[in-house]
Amino acid sequence: MATESGDPERFEDVDWDELGGLAVPRRTLAFVASLVAYALLLGYDYLLVAEDQPTIPVAGWNVTAVDWLFLLTLLAIVFYGVVPLVVNRRLTVHYWHQFRKNRAAVVSLVYLLVIFVVGTVGTAFIEPPQLDTLAAYQPPVYSSVPADVPVSCAGEVVDGRCQGTWAHPFGTTGQGKDILKMVVFGMEVSMQVGLIATFITIVLATAVGTTAAYLGGYVDEVLMRYVDIQLTFPTFFLYLLLVYLFGGSLFLLILIFGLTGWGAIARLVRSEALQRSEEEFVRAAKGAGASTPYVIWRHLVPNVSNTVITAATLLIPSLILAEAALSFLGLGDPTVPSWGRVIADGRGDLSSAWWISTIPGFFLFFTILAFNFLGDALRDALDPRQEGGE
Amino acid sequence: MSDDGAVGEERPVLSVRNLVKHFPITEGVLRREVGRVRAVDGISFDVYPGETLGLVGESGCGKSTAALSLLRLEEPTDGEVSYRGESVTDYDSGELKAFRREAQMIFQDPTSSFDPRMPVGQSVAEPLLVHGMADRRRRRGIVENLLERVGLSASDYDRYPHEFSGGQKQRIAIARALVVNPDLVVADEPVSALDVSVQAEILGLLEDVQDEFGLSILFISHDMAVVREVCDRVAVMYLGEIVETGPTVDIFEEPQHPYTRALLASVPSIDPRRRGEGVELSGDVPSPSNPPAGCRFHTRCPEIIQPEGYDFDQQNWRAVMDLRVRLEQGTLDLDAAREFAVAEGEATDPEAVTREELARAVRDEFSIPPELTDHRAERVLQDALSSLVDGEADAARDLLADEFETICEREHPDLRDTEAGHPAACHLHREAVEADAVRSQTPED
Repeated sequence: MATESGDPERFEDVDWDELGGLAVPRRTLAFVASLVAYALLLGYDYLLVAEDQPTIPVAGWNVTAVDWLFLLTLLAIVFYGVVPLVVNRRLTVHYWHQFRKNRAAVVSLVYLLVIFVVGTVGTAFIEPPQLDTLAAYQPPVYSSVPADVPVSCAGEVVDGRCQGTWAHPFGTTGQGKDILKMVVFGMEVSMQVGLIATFITIVLATAVGTTAAYLGGYVDEVLMRYVDIQLTFPTFFLYLLLVYLFGGSLFLLILIFGLTGWGAIARLVRSEALQRSEEEFVRAAKGAGASTPYVIWRHLVPNVSNTVITAATLLIPSLILAEAALSFLGLGDPTVPSWGRVIADGRGDLSSAWWISTIPGFFLFFTILAFNFLGDALRDALDPRQEGGE
Repeated sequence: MSDDGAVGEERPVLSVRNLVKHFPITEGVLRREVGRVRAVDGISFDVYPGETLGLVGESGCGKSTAALSLLRLEEPTDGEVSYRGESVTDYDSGELKAFRREAQMIFQDPTSSFDPRMPVGQSVAEPLLVHGMADRRRRRGIVENLLERVGLSASDYDRYPHEFSGGQKQRIAIARALVVNPDLVVADEPVSALDVSVQAEILGLLEDVQDEFGLSILFISHDMAVVREVCDRVAVMYLGEIVETGPTVDIFEEPQHPYTRALLASVPSIDPRRRGEGVELSGDVPSPSNPPAGCRFHTRCPEIIQPEGYDFDQQNWRAVMDLRVRLEQGTLDLDAAREFAVAEGEATDPEAVTREELARAVRDEFSIPPELTDHRAERVLQDALSSLVDGEADAARDLLADEFETICEREHPDLRDTEAGHPAACHLHREAVEADAVRSQTPED
């Protein structure tokens, strides 16, 4: 059956008996390979490195459980978000043209990319904010407060008012922590909460939704009735109970958000997948001999991705807001500089030191807004009803 | 192909026996079955090597369901399908996968038969991938070559379905069906979504590939003109059953079943000798969840057999039957008949319509003449109509059912050989039709 003299092989020359085995796409292979590497590193961290020792001594970075989850999330985003966008360049350009029509969304995207990069990369290079009672209550640069508000004014005192300095551009908290640093570390927390919990959510929701839709019958019935039960479950009280038992932790918070919040999206995905699985291309794949997992993964999942992506971009801000709210109530992780906690810290000083609560509040507000703009624009850009008309 | 035994006589590639596919209608969480849609109700046929068998019938008669069930894309409820002597219905998943390579399907709607998120080349290559061809470049080479052979270019591999016209997509669909080199292709209305000029191209392509590779094709269509072009043999389906089957020439020259005749009459003909053979079917296609008793076509058949002891004009008999069918369904609307009488100028308002006028309006609605030629029949009809206008629709229904009972609604006809040489399922071909109805067979319900 060898192709001779450069003639293209013809389908009728294929010897089917010599074929066999599993054909795995390259991207899947690469993803699996990186997962194996990830698992090895994870094993190394948990089995060989003592808990209080840094995982990577050179960088002095002790990789936490949340960091590990975040890495996994980023791996998935790269392999199933960035790589397809790069490979299918024509489709990417088409979507970009649609997306670009929404100015607010483009600005939001830039803002969020900055938040993401500063939050994930920036935190590796700056020192965590330190307690420094002498530097407490410094006002932001270009603003001033009565000189008796800060313990000792770091800048000049003009007319009895303490001027802000570039040493603390956003001022400091009542404990003397630099608010700019707090904001940057807060970005990391917000991104971790938003992205990891959303990642867990959409994986579960897509798996359950497409499986229920494609298999139907009792599988559908069991999965969807479970979703009904989960949607009525009081997650907040579960979280309170766990905080009471184990203390507040970011890892716990993310897991709770991720493992209990996927019901509504699973329903959305199911209804979309139900429509798709009635289409003839699904039948054609089945008629070609494709297995159930193949049809779900290669046909249903890509075709519900619009629904999933839109739902995800609208889920992220609600998760960030929920984390901030829990932290504000003091139910968050006490070791993590979340925006919600900084806002709560400054609550008592609002009359004298307005900036402590206000500046992280601004970032929180704009981040939520940006995600919402992004979600709306993505929904419009990915709307299948617009596809085809280029 | 033919190995043991079969000398001279070719063995069928595909043989279908009493294939049944019912869809249960369920209610509630416990999925209690409250009824079944009898989409396919016991059909049998054979497809021989290299031939094209046409399966024709109106929309909703179960043609597509039959195709999906025989390929086990839907699990058949009952019956036997065998491919080259092996029972398809008994295949395990491994054997079924191997069978998928032998039997492929082309779908009706070229728009929904391709994944909008996959380049068409990948869709065509999918069967290769599924059957274990791991080498990407090899798949691509085969598919590019195949795309060129069905009249597209190799560079179309990376384009998306929405960039193609319907005819081009159907070419690609043919390529996808061919790529695993099957012996049998089931084409489900492959051209009905296309313009007539494009239809001819696609049918030509299908014929070319059939000649080149010796394919057997099961060609499903509602378009008799297309069927005449491409099929060697035809099986006519009505409401889940095959009512007539035979070589295309015979079916078109000497149709033996009234339904086939009605279908053929729908084909425009330029032959002046064939003018005026127009047959119009009355009524709607009955629901397959509750098919009519006896012959399933009796509710619409223009040649329905007359009841014993009466002598109608056939057209009037059909009209009376239409009235009976409506009464059975309980969908006869007397108020509408009153409005009709008013519109005809027989009365000034619906309340003032007299009994006689109302009866006349009902007759008009069903095109029953003011007086039937058979006086006994006329008397029965008058009695029934007067019960009807008195609001006793049930009495009218029962009276008509007792007096005008026909064999067509009582007994289910089986496929039997006719004088034309090919089988049809119709009581008209029963020897003792006009004699006493043979009651030896139990009526089917």
